Amino acid sequence: MRNVGIIGVGYTPVFVSKRKDVNIAELISEAVDAGFRETNLKPEDIDAFTFGNMQTFEGLNMPHLWASDHIRALDKPIIRISTGGTTGMSTLQAAYYYVASGMYDVVMAVTWEKHSEGDAQVGLSGIIIPEVIAMVQSGMDLAGGRGVGAMGGGSTGTAAYQAMSYLHHSGADPEHIDKMAAMERSNAAKNPYAHLRKETTVEDIQATPFIAWPLRYGHTCPTTDGATVCIVASEEKAAKLADQVAWITGLGACASDPCTGNLIEGQITDPAEQEPCCIASAKALEMAGIEDPKKEIDMCEMYDGFAHQSLMWLEKTGLCEVGEAHKLLDAGELEIEGRIPTNASGGVFSTNAIGTSAMNRPAECALQIMDRVEGGHKIPKKIKNALAHGWGGMFQYVTVMILSDTPRKLYPDGR
Amino acid sequence: MAFEMGEETRQVPGTWDISTYRYKIEGRGLNLLTEAMKEGKIRGVRCHECGTVYVPGPTFCRKCFIDIDEVVEVKDTGEVVSYAVEMSNMRGEPLDEKRITAMIKLDGSDTWIVGTITDIDWEDVEVGMKVKSVWVDEPAGKLNDIDHFEPL
Repeated sequence: MRNVGIIGVGYTPVFVSKRKDVNIAELISEAVDAGFRETNLKPEDIDAFTFGNMQTFEGLNMPHLWASDHIRALDKPIIRISTGGTTGMSTLQAAYYYVASGMYDVVMAVTWEKHSEGDAQVGLSGIIIPEVIAMVQSGMDLAGGRGVGAMGGGSTGTAAYQAMSYLHHSGADPEHIDKMAAMERSNAAKNPYAHLRKETTVEDIQATPFIAWPLRYGHTCPTTDGATVCIVASEEKAAKLADQVAWITGLGACASDPCTGNLIEGQITDPAEQEPCCIASAKALEMAGIEDPKKEIDMCEMYDGFAHQSLMWLEKTGLCEVGEAHKLLDAGELEIEGRIPTNASGGVFSTNAIGTSAMNRPAECALQIMDRVEGGHKIPKKIKNALAHGWGGMFQYVTVMILSDTPRKLYPDGR
Repeated sequence: MAFEMGEETRQVPGTWDISTYRYKIEGRGLNLLTEAMKEGKIRGVRCHECGTVYVPGPTFCRKCFIDIDEVVEVKDTGEVVSYAVEMSNMRGEPLDEKRITAMIKLDGSDTWIVGTITDIDWEDVEVGMKVKSVWVDEPAGKLNDIDHFEPL
């Protein structure tokens, strides 16, 4: 196996609610062009492409094929990856596999979402339609008012159960969610590629209405239009093509039993249990040769569609003990100047073009390692190792990636 | 040439008849449950290997990957695994009456189901609290036969 590093990141110029001035293919091409500008590469330098966005959110089939000219992928291998919320990191992991295997030397991973041209709620409904129909056939009240199966709808309705279970098991207070939300939104205010860019106080968050206790409107992510690309290269090629490289030194991915939407066969998993996160993180850290993540990881980017999640992921990835994350928050350790800066970018919580969301996590880590951060969210200390996290599926699929400033030491057997 | 997007999503009136879906999930466990509910009972399926009790019961154990069919009865009391309190409707308008929905693990089962809890102030609900099922007067073999849950 070969070492692989990120040599460049390309973003669309802005991440906003509605990009009315471009269509989908044009939107993606903006990020692709930015990737070429950042690396001084030309389309002919790219050997292959990986491509990711959410299935069904825009109601599109095969966007990787009809947009192939706009991403400069004509006459090249291209594969579409779609793993729900984790799509972005899965797309980057696929690019990693291409290069690590020796098949290709330079690969571009392209991700995007244009929420304004679709309906995410319809896309999400498509996941559980068979379950819902079976339950309606067995007498469930579709309006959700009475009886077994009555539940809060949408992702906020289900995330509220996760948030409450997290609060119970960690000992954190609902006010910690407000505090985390305010911190991340204020980080986003410094990041030119964030969507909700406003210096935000705890009081601002607490002024927003509750959707489903304990989650407020101010605890939820936006829906965003935007695209991101990462260009990865083999160690040999990176030495020729790039001055700075963020090395991908560890990967992990894991699924468990669904924590939602499987009501017809008995749900065995608590949505705040998140065992896949523990497993994927342990795997990635081991691969990167990191023995004490609490000391050796210098920053992290967590996938937090909802503000309680960054705290939960800190505990599940092993960056702190269970029940410790909210104490780190209170001590200021999660801030940009803190010991373990968490979502210096503002996180998914502030910018959520879903296909890109799990890609922007490692991309932001890479930019911090390569010292190429635009804007005021640059972490002042030297970053040697960073942890990026992606989450999604039926609340049960997690990807983790470790990025480092030096290449990975391969195992004696060459892996 | 500049591309111009419409201001608002257009709405097309129509209906979506979900009964036209031809494939019906076999739903053995769901049928077992609704049949039992006719008698005011709750039944699930137990894995003979690891002992996990599923309600509703699947045809195989998702931990052991083996076929399972041992029917067991569980109680209609249980424990709150987690809960949420709905405070706004689908349009984001505040609800006059807040609705408590919870993940409830029935006693004797290892899985949770979802239901509403009434007869308690929302601020008093806690993870781990005990609740009991409140049945409709004439159970008809439907998931709605348990109308809601109340604190035990």
